[in-house]
Amino acid sequence: MPDYGHDLLFGSFITPANATPHEVVALAQESEAAGLDLVTFQDHPYQAAFLDTWTLLSYVAARTERIRLSGNVINLPLRPPAVLARAAASLDLLSGGRFELGLGAGGFWDAIEAMGGRRLTPGQAVDALSEAIDIIRGLWDPSDTSRFRVDGTYYQVAGAKRGPAPAHDIGIWLGAYKPKMLRLTGAKADGWLPSLPYMGSLDAITEANAIIDEAADGAGREPAAVRRLLNVSGRFGAAGDGLLTGPPEQWAEQLAVLTLEYGFSSYILMGDDPAVIRTFGGEVAPLVRDLVAKERAARGTVR
Amino acid sequence: MDYGHPLRFGVLLAPGEHVATKALEDLVDLAELSEELGYDLVTFSGGPAQADPWTLASWAAGRTSRVRLLAAPARDGNPAVVARAAASLDLLAGGRVDLALATAHTPDADAVGEAIDVIRGIWSASERSPLYVEGKHHRVAGADRGPAPSRTVPLWIDGADPALLRLTGQKADGWTAPLALGTPPAHPGGHAEDGTAADSAPADSAPAGTAPAGTAPAGTAAGPAPDGSVVDGVWVGELVAAQRVIDAAAAEAGRDPREIRRLARIAGRFTADRGGFLTGPPEKWVADLLPLVLDAGFATFVLSAGDPETVRRFAAEVVPVLRTAVDRERRARGVAESAPARSAFVRSKRREGIDYDAVPASLAATAVEPGDAAYARVRSTYLRGGSPGLVLRPGTPADVGDAIRFARTQPVKLSIRSAGHGISGRSTNNGGIVIDVSRLNAIEVLDKETRRVRIEPGARWSDVAAALAPHGWALSSGDYGGVGVGGLATAGGIGWLVREHGLTIDHLRAVEMVLADGSQVRADEQENPELFWGVRGAGANFGIVTSFEFEVDEVGDVGFAQFVLDATDTADFLERWGAAMEAAPRDVTSAVILGRPRPGQPLIAQMMAVVDSDDADTIVSRLQPLAATAPLLDYSIQVLPYAAVMHVPPGTHDAQGEPVTRAALADHLTPELSAAAARLVRSGLTYFFHIRSVGGAASDVAPDATAYAGRSANFQLVAFGHSRGDLDPAWDALLPHFSGQYINFETDRRPERVHEAYPGDTLRRLRALKRRYDPAKVFRDNFAFDPAEEDVTPGAAAG
Ligand SMILES: Cc1cc2nc3c(=O)[nH]c(=O)nc-3n(C[C@H](O)[C@H](O)[C@H](O)COP(=O)(O)OP(=O)(O)OC[C@H]3O[C@@H](n4cnc5c(N)ncnc54)[C@H](O)[C@@H]3O)c2cc1C
Repeated sequence: MPDYGHDLLFGSFITPANATPHEVVALAQESEAAGLDLVTFQDHPYQAAFLDTWTLLSYVAARTERIRLSGNVINLPLRPPAVLARAAASLDLLSGGRFELGLGAGGFWDAIEAMGGRRLTPGQAVDALSEAIDIIRGLWDPSDTSRFRVDGTYYQVAGAKRGPAPAHDIGIWLGAYKPKMLRLTGAKADGWLPSLPYMGSLDAITEANAIIDEAADGAGREPAAVRRLLNVSGRFGAAGDGLLTGPPEQWAEQLAVLTLEYGFSSYILMGDDPAVIRTFGGEVAPLVRDLVAKERAARGTVR
Repeated sequence: MDYGHPLRFGVLLAPGEHVATKALEDLVDLAELSEELGYDLVTFSGGPAQADPWTLASWAAGRTSRVRLLAAPARDGNPAVVARAAASLDLLAGGRVDLALATAHTPDADAVGEAIDVIRGIWSASERSPLYVEGKHHRVAGADRGPAPSRTVPLWIDGADPALLRLTGQKADGWTAPLALGTPPAHPGGHAEDGTAADSAPADSAPAGTAPAGTAPAGTAAGPAPDGSVVDGVWVGELVAAQRVIDAAAAEAGRDPREIRRLARIAGRFTADRGGFLTGPPEKWVADLLPLVLDAGFATFVLSAGDPETVRRFAAEVVPVLRTAVDRERRARGVAESAPARSAFVRSKRREGIDYDAVPASLAATAVEPGDAAYARVRSTYLRGGSPGLVLRPGTPADVGDAIRFARTQPVKLSIRSAGHGISGRSTNNGGIVIDVSRLNAIEVLDKETRRVRIEPGARWSDVAAALAPHGWALSSGDYGGVGVGGLATAGGIGWLVREHGLTIDHLRAVEMVLADGSQVRADEQENPELFWGVRGAGANFGIVTSFEFEVDEVGDVGFAQFVLDATDTADFLERWGAAMEAAPRDVTSAVILGRPRPGQPLIAQMMAVVDSDDADTIVSRLQPLAATAPLLDYSIQVLPYAAVMHVPPGTHDAQGEPVTRAALADHLTPELSAAAARLVRSGLTYFFHIRSVGGAASDVAPDATAYAGRSANFQLVAFGHSRGDLDPAWDALLPHFSGQYINFETDRRPERVHEAYPGDTLRRLRALKRRYDPAKVFRDNFAFDPAEEDVTPGAAAG
């Protein structure tokens, strides 16, 4: 079914290994040079082998010019939402509006607790995320000069001064799989950011889209208000039967199908091989844009 | 009261009320300007606009390269996350980070103390147990440790509360005096707005709703006194009192108060007329600041000024004059200038036998001791676990000289390290000293015409390949890009292009090195030719090479092939592969690796080959005979830049234990050797058996032309095992089949190995050189021979 008609974005997903910090930064710069729109890093603050994602995003933003940046996805349980809101706004201001906020409810509770974080059930974590989104958006809006108060179950704000406002409307993209998270995504988020390997099947995507659309509808929003982004992995080489194993042309066709039939409009390639990043940005992205533009023109679905 | 700390100057960067993109950009511009002007540090506050100070600092790190960042995490951060963030910033910014614990707003010393324990615990990556901190405010229950920052990140406490002052004395590396403390006399006109801006991190919302917003935190509200009636100097007393509390707590904790740096934030105005504190011409500023240094113990000043003009004038007109004045006064008063001493904690981890206080000044700041945060990154090497007592990291040849002169007076083991991939070379030890020259890692072209390049020992071959690629050049080195120049180019260098272009040392035209007495020499065919001869094969015995000059080759894209073969008929495969290699043109070099046999499964051989050609037909024709040496299970062939074949990302090493290897050179893989090698592999005593092809151009050079004597060999063999007791007898049985030794893969320390590597006359010449250049046997970590006697003790330095 759906094609929500969003413009296409292509991105990379680079392992934030702290053993090789400069290689990580170089890969982000490589992503920019390859023409990608977005560079993203996973955020697992309990993972001792990784760079702190927030610090890395800020540093990389200073070392790039054009490319947009996002956590993929930021770990809410170990990053208080008020801090996150101001940090995100600051980074967005510094980078000239290049920051997007991929956000997750958290999942590795043993590790979170070992770090001194609070253990929540998956259901509670979704509710906490919902509160956090309200706090973040509230702090981003200094045009509202009233003191900001939230007395939530999970987070409280006791009359804070709002601000700073980000440079652009930062998209809040949620890593969501289960119905409750998908409903939250439809109700409040600007984007849905799952990973293809976790989705299991194409049918699961269709079902998830339907839940998001219904929740959006219920909240009085257009389904198209929620961008659909997808983390993908694959291999370039001789044509294979799997998804995204083959030459760039085959990738492009498959991504065009995911766009036109499954509603995705952003593809974030997981992997640290600069040659693969170059091929993805230099060859696959233009081919997909082309195929999608032609088909959308034919269908008359251009927004 | 003057702790003698070197003066340092910084700039506080805080956005104003209305923060927009432009305002933050201006702030970062100011950070860049501060760096240009020679300030030592910049620090950030969120300002009334509530920008995130950590984000500002991280961004500024990306835009600067030298200035230190005194970075403050946002309030309410989880300390374990803060620790990783600070270590990450340090790693990204190249060791330029100080961490400010912003406590002015939550002056609960207990919570800050617990946070410090968490932060330091996370950084202690060399401890292998998970971290537990059971605090009232912070609780960590089994978190993984790491990463360690690249250098010890100093922790600063900001506050005047007596409990915080005591905590500073007990645990911190620096104290920031709140502006309100020791209020200086204001000039009649007042300049309160400048003053408050210096500490303007706002009250904030907290997720748990703890801090009521809008209440001005203690320490920010008060500006300078409203009237100028206080006599200059009297107000200093309050600051001195605070310093005394810190010092008493430090002494009680067994610390030297000089471990703790003291920072004062200052704000003022340049005016023609003299006003109150820091209001007036530059001389007035100097006069106001001097007592803070000499009488109140401050040596770090952070200027709070939003405008570039004040920042410029302060750097140009106050800093140099103040430095001179402080120098003069300190000399007059007999105050010795010294960097803050290493903390009591670090000293408690020191090892016996090393006179740490005698480490030369040129090396002290970059040296790493067991208690330092960076220790986890430098203690071990790629294949060997270690726990040295001191790692010296000289950054210039002169500093290498200082390091050697110091180390030779210490009664402990000495190891030399470039990139830490030593096998024979014991580049770490237990309780001894390591001289690590990895910071000497420059690569530069000296002459394009003759393809002459200068490479320092700390460069890795991956870096070398990447640097030469744009010129269409390469230097045959090894088959693994992580290996360092220092250890390989002093011994041999059997690389992917060896059959066509010879050993790495065959391209060496000159070296500069530091000898056992700390002196620097150059050696080439004209100057010190005998030393130059010895360095090419036994360099580690004579000194530390600080610079190599090579003549490199023109090399473009190459064919890189990987084959998986069924080597169940192992002897037959080895014999065939050996014969195929000996018959092959020189533009192909290959190697085979056999693993441990698994019951009921075919024995797998991996074969790698490089063909110096980008022509598909040539590549295929070279590879076909190799692929036919055993049943082919899988393969891949790519045409790649040589630099891509060598590419290995940099990283730190954390091996444990000791590698067990045996190695040899062989002229031919005869049926007898092949059969014996097959039996060894079948025995399971080696889990990694690797044969590299040599010969070709390497054999064009006469055996006595360099100290690397094994010129007749077509093959180099190495077996890795688990147990020396098992591997040695099995390998010794193969000895009759071998023709010599390449030292770099051999870990056996019996004297015979030295004779294999340096037979007959070669060893006589080398001993003569050792007598001349290192009679005291300072260098003994890698195939060391005695200057005179017959005794030899390869790798005697290992712990
Ligand atoms: C994975 C791997 C692959 C390898 N592949 C190859 C290969 O293909 N071909 C090959 O020839 N070798 C190869 N080697 C062996 C390698 O050449 C040696 O281990 C070499 O010593 C590593 O150099 P390094 O600078 O990294 O080692 P380090 O551990 O830093 O130093 C090893 C020793 O070299 C000496 N040394 C180091 N720096 C200097 C200096 N500046 N001046 C004087 N002496 C110094 C010291 O005795 C020191 O103990 C390989 C090793 C490994 C671990």
